[in-house]
Amino acid sequence: MALKKAAAQATTTDDERQRDRDLDGLVLALADADPLARRWAARDLVAYPTATTALIAQLMVESEPSVMEVILTTLTRIGDEQAVIGLVQCLRSEDAMLRNAAIEAMKLLPDEVAPMMGRLLADADPDVRIFAVNVLESLRHPQVENWLLRVITDDAHINVCATAVDLLGEVGSEVAVPALRALKQRFTEEPYIQFAADLALKRIAAG
Amino acid sequence: MGVTLKRILVIDDAATVRLYHRGILEAAGFAVSEAINGLEALERVAEAPFDLYVVDINMPKLDGYGFLRELRSKDIPQAPAIMVSTEAAANDQKLAYVSGANLYLIKPVRPERLLAHVLTLLGLSVAPRDPHQGRHQ
Repeated sequence: MALKKAAAQATTTDDERQRDRDLDGLVLALADADPLARRWAARDLVAYPTATTALIAQLMVESEPSVMEVILTTLTRIGDEQAVIGLVQCLRSEDAMLRNAAIEAMKLLPDEVAPMMGRLLADADPDVRIFAVNVLESLRHPQVENWLLRVITDDAHINVCATAVDLLGEVGSEVAVPALRALKQRFTEEPYIQFAADLALKRIAAG
Repeated sequence: MGVTLKRILVIDDAATVRLYHRGILEAAGFAVSEAINGLEALERVAEAPFDLYVVDINMPKLDGYGFLRELRSKDIPQAPAIMVSTEAAANDQKLAYVSGANLYLIKPVRPERLLAHVLTLLGLSVAPRDPHQGRHQ
């Protein structure tokens, strides 16, 4: 085990010696066959905000979870509009692991994600709207309750509303009560909505 | 006396969904445990395997597909798994079955529907308890 570790470290060191650590060299290393080289490249690309496109492109095809994790960390550290646009792209991926990783990364970028939230919550794809509500779960932003209220008032898709109600039970205030009651009226035949809205109302009443 | 309750593990990162499924299944006489993601579910399984799993797809740390793949690779008594998700895409359903799910249901699942599938997968003709006597709500 120790030997394996030493060998792995040696590979990484050799790689660092062999490749240029400038933008072009790192972007090249990002597509290396060796996951260690990819991981180091993803880590070092934090110094190059213009590498966002290359990072996102690699993220969409990356199969190694540890490399994926480093790419996401780098993207959140770069944290500019391009990085967020790339993360939004990941929400449309068919890879559940990538989608979940993007959601977790977006939660860390409240100020950058906020300007896009209105558009995400109005996306034509209900799955993207659900993921957007998932992002709100830990997004420390003063607009969260308003966004959720808009969802349960306007969105016609039951699962988008259901996801928003779950969250309103945690972050909702007295302001949410009329919208929750109206939601129950809108989905009278849906046991889950009745259950979740009642639970949210109970939690809000309990303060 | 001597009757062992069937054990069901509900795996979902949404607390309300866990509570909802738990309420339906406990009212019908099943022993229900919860896990908030695939990793925590694997820890529960390591303690003692379950008779049935109700699994969400999108969860942080380890999603439902990953959980099922790990579960099915283990040398333990295998049990049926119902994958429950908001996603209706054919690819998600295919992936669910490839990962080891026995059934794919789209949320929200009505109580009588969930119960009927659970009974079928467990080979039971009736629930251990009349669910209408103890149902939440």
